[in-house]
Amino acid sequence: MLPSSAARYFLLLLFIGLGWPHLAWSQQASRFTISGTVRGPRGETLPGASVAVPALNTGTAADSLGRFSLALPAGRHQLAVAFIGYQSLTRDINLTRDQRLSFALEESNNELDEVVVEGTATLQEKLKTTQMGVERLTIREAKLLPALFGEVDILKTLQLKPGIQSGGEGTSGLFVRGGSSDQNLVLLDNTLVYNPTHLFGLFSVFNSDAVQSVDLYKSGFPAEFGGRLSSVVDVKLREGDRQNYVATGGVGLISSRLTYEGPINKGKGSFIVSGRRTYFDVFTRAINEANKNKEDYSPIPDYYFYDFNAKANYSLSDKDHLFLTGYLGRDTFGFNSAGGFNFDFSWGNTVGSLRWNHVFSPKLFSNTSVSVSDYKYDLTNKLDQFSFGLGSRITDYSARTDFEYTPNDRHVMKAGAQLTQHKFGVGRLDANSGDGRINFGSDINYFGLDGALYASDNYKASDKLQLEGGLRLSGFRSGSNQYGGIEPRASGRYSINDRTSLKASYAMMYQYVHLVTNSGASLPTDIWYPSRLSVKPQRSQQLSSGASFLLGKGDYLLTNEVYYKWGQNQVDFRDGAQLFVNPELDAEFIFGKSWSYGNELYLEKKTGKTTGWIGYTLAWSWRNFQPQRGTNGINNGRDFHPNYDRRHNLTVVVLHQLNARINLTASFIYTSGNLTTLPLGRFGVQDIPGSSVGIDPRPVPIYPDRNSYRLIPYHRLDLGAVYKIGTQRNQDLTLSIYNAYNRRNAYFVFFDTVRDRPSGRTTGFQARQASLFPIIPSLTYNFRF
Amino acid sequence: MSLLSKWIGLLGVASLWLGLTGCNLEQDIDVELPSYSAELAVECYLEAGKRPSLTVTTTVPYLGAVVPQLPSNVTVRLTLPNGTVVPLAFQPNYQALTDTVSGIKFYTHIGRDTLVARAGDVFKLEVSDTQGRRVTGTTTMLAPIPIDSVEYKFNDKSGSERKAYFLTSFLDPPTPNDCYRLQLHRGDPAKGALLKRPETDNSFEDRLLNGQRFVLGTSYRFSKGDTVTATLYHTDAAFYRFRQSVRDARNANGNPFAQPSAIFSNVQGGVGIFSVLSPTRATRIIR
Repeated sequence: MLPSSAARYFLLLLFIGLGWPHLAWSQQASRFTISGTVRGPRGETLPGASVAVPALNTGTAADSLGRFSLALPAGRHQLAVAFIGYQSLTRDINLTRDQRLSFALEESNNELDEVVVEGTATLQEKLKTTQMGVERLTIREAKLLPALFGEVDILKTLQLKPGIQSGGEGTSGLFVRGGSSDQNLVLLDNTLVYNPTHLFGLFSVFNSDAVQSVDLYKSGFPAEFGGRLSSVVDVKLREGDRQNYVATGGVGLISSRLTYEGPINKGKGSFIVSGRRTYFDVFTRAINEANKNKEDYSPIPDYYFYDFNAKANYSLSDKDHLFLTGYLGRDTFGFNSAGGFNFDFSWGNTVGSLRWNHVFSPKLFSNTSVSVSDYKYDLTNKLDQFSFGLGSRITDYSARTDFEYTPNDRHVMKAGAQLTQHKFGVGRLDANSGDGRINFGSDINYFGLDGALYASDNYKASDKLQLEGGLRLSGFRSGSNQYGGIEPRASGRYSINDRTSLKASYAMMYQYVHLVTNSGASLPTDIWYPSRLSVKPQRSQQLSSGASFLLGKGDYLLTNEVYYKWGQNQVDFRDGAQLFVNPELDAEFIFGKSWSYGNELYLEKKTGKTTGWIGYTLAWSWRNFQPQRGTNGINNGRDFHPNYDRRHNLTVVVLHQLNARINLTASFIYTSGNLTTLPLGRFGVQDIPGSSVGIDPRPVPIYPDRNSYRLIPYHRLDLGAVYKIGTQRNQDLTLSIYNAYNRRNAYFVFFDTVRDRPSGRTTGFQARQASLFPIIPSLTYNFRF
Repeated sequence: MSLLSKWIGLLGVASLWLGLTGCNLEQDIDVELPSYSAELAVECYLEAGKRPSLTVTTTVPYLGAVVPQLPSNVTVRLTLPNGTVVPLAFQPNYQALTDTVSGIKFYTHIGRDTLVARAGDVFKLEVSDTQGRRVTGTTTMLAPIPIDSVEYKFNDKSGSERKAYFLTSFLDPPTPNDCYRLQLHRGDPAKGALLKRPETDNSFEDRLLNGQRFVLGTSYRFSKGDTVTATLYHTDAAFYRFRQSVRDARNANGNPFAQPSAIFSNVQGGVGIFSVLSPTRATRIIR
């Protein structure tokens, strides 16, 4: 165990070494610190809970672990602790020394609070924090909103926030302020998740029953985060009930969920295990069985996904706590034909972490963790005696330690270090025949070492002015290739008055691993590749500023933010790139720059029977890839928009509590259409003699500049209702109607060949628009026992 | 229970609405495309012992007329390795456009004499029309790669289910970046079987097996009495890339996950391919 003096010495070294400007961190003589944890009635921590002294107009919010630390002048104070959905609590204290206090809030009997996601205290906190561009989503909010097939999806709910867009109809991929989906750092209890989606991006891997909260950072990234350019998605799992054994679950249209949680050793700890599985395959197998005797029937392939979350925590003492987190998820796709052709495709993440939280003093605590993250896919074909396999895998082993020090009520300092070893299995290929005549295998692996040191200080210069500065030193090594970066972070808030604040931030980010994909969508076969040889780290910088206004009686918050983000060494791939099992994959990359800018307007209401938000984003995203490496670059070096560039994006979300049992919700989204590339011309190719008989009727499209055609605007209304049943209201029926007015949104456009029916002769070509989801109603039954 | 009935009823009504309105997820639309200027499209595969021929068409707007544009005012000149310039006359074999039996390919221009070509020979092509459009290209004949062996093996079934797979093996030379195309045709070569649609047709590179023996197999698909001919083309990288880009461009139309590909032509001033075929063949009767 690290003694507190040693920890301070480490912090001091780190801060001095980085030229820290604020060294006046000795404790002021007449101030003391209260610290502790805010929990719910079942012992669960309450991240985001407010701990304040209204008389002094000061306060803080509990962090993601429910901990708080607040420095106050000596003397008598009245503390107010609040969290939405729970009864507020006040406590008088006489502060004569540093104190540890823990609060347990009772759930509110006021049903209104269950509709309200966050309350006035939260809006106040948002107004006062230096952190910009962050969206906090509680699972309570996500569960109330209508969802595709009734599957509550926290990533899709985030897409309703300004500046965050989906890649296409129904997909969970996030495109944040002009960044691509591989530029998001997705963390599950601080451990990286490489592919956060199931079913080709349609559903996120996060089971809503197991998730406590999600924070998404779009700008002003805290120094403890790094490794991706565009956003940080910080998902925290629930810790489980510390007092009772509880089972929760749900039966939905496409999947069922079951969660079990309870105390460990009489409340010294708790655990939660949660599983989810789809049952498409149950229906498709039944259909296949019913039709197996039909000659022309083609069996439907089997598909299902499942995921399993587990978390346990245990308090070794008042100062030492252990947290163990695990995740396992798989998608499985299989096809077995009577003709001897078998196809199996599976992919998924495995994540595990062990964290030790140690409290040195009320002012200083640390988190030290080791973790592993693994993503892989395996594809196997078998035809008679021949088999063919293809796969890829990335495995990370990480260790990190983080310190947080609150010397007084003016400073909150953080510092830490992390080290990750990556193993990139960028391509595995094998081909075999049963008799051994064909036996081929190829496996391409690289290693990488990723490290970072960081320090930051949140400095409250006055009641009006608060500043946060941070520095992150990052480095990456793969073979003989070494890279490093200095990543400054800064943000500030100036309060004009109690209802108005101005904010600004700057952040530089480096990304040392790159997603190899030649598709606009995220596919399970996409692989990760390290910075090596000609592939340099990606880099981006972002400036943003904004103003927040508290309106009405403090129950509305209007925020406007503008941003400008620019990046170097952005990666793409040459046309016709060989992305699978290529030992010279680095030669297939091309490099360019990016820039994006926009304005995000956000009005949110958090109290009352009717809550919700309206968000409007006006944005531009650009790329430029000059001719290089024997290619014409992209669009011959001219500026172009990525396909997810959308000029306008409007979201309206309304949650209304009709009565104690019924909640009604609606969400509406309107965005400019996606960009796509349509062929302008065509020509015919016959191929060599002996390749076909007759003229090949398939035209060869000639494509113009990339992303030169914009699809029709996308808009959709979703409606939802939650009806609580049972005497204890511990069950509910949740109705979701996705795409309520059955809008035919464009998923993609293609040019179809029109043929004369009797002769099969081509008579013309016609543009056609394909839509993915019509109106989809779904009903889900949820319970808690 | 009555509550559940209400909900299920509501869901039923909603499902009916879905059934009535939601099934047809494709619809015709009008798109406004920018103007498109046509260019010459050339497809020419020379082969030793055959009269040189090629097809010259023009590209057209995608949503334009179906019938291919055959420019008649085009002059084609083929330069042989010894520098001799051979004109190819405009003599379209229109019957091939409607022939769905023989497998003879359509051409617009053809030479008078059969071609003499050896490994290493360089050929040049020039296509020009009266509108000032001019397409040029150069190609080199690669050395044929011998097929070491062709084999077959039956499965352990009987009757009509008794089938054989077919193995073709050859040795890749140690030079890197060799590309191949292997076709298997079923039937008697003397009766034109090699002009018909092949049983299998695969293109591949040597990047993972450079300098090693390739053994390529099929599924159990051949029957006793079948005549199987393996044709191994040693193709230049330009032809390989052209075929890949044609495939990628075709697949991108209608596939939302695909990135549209530019066509990798090896001719300048237009689109198309100019290549010398370098085949070796081996025939085996399944007994």
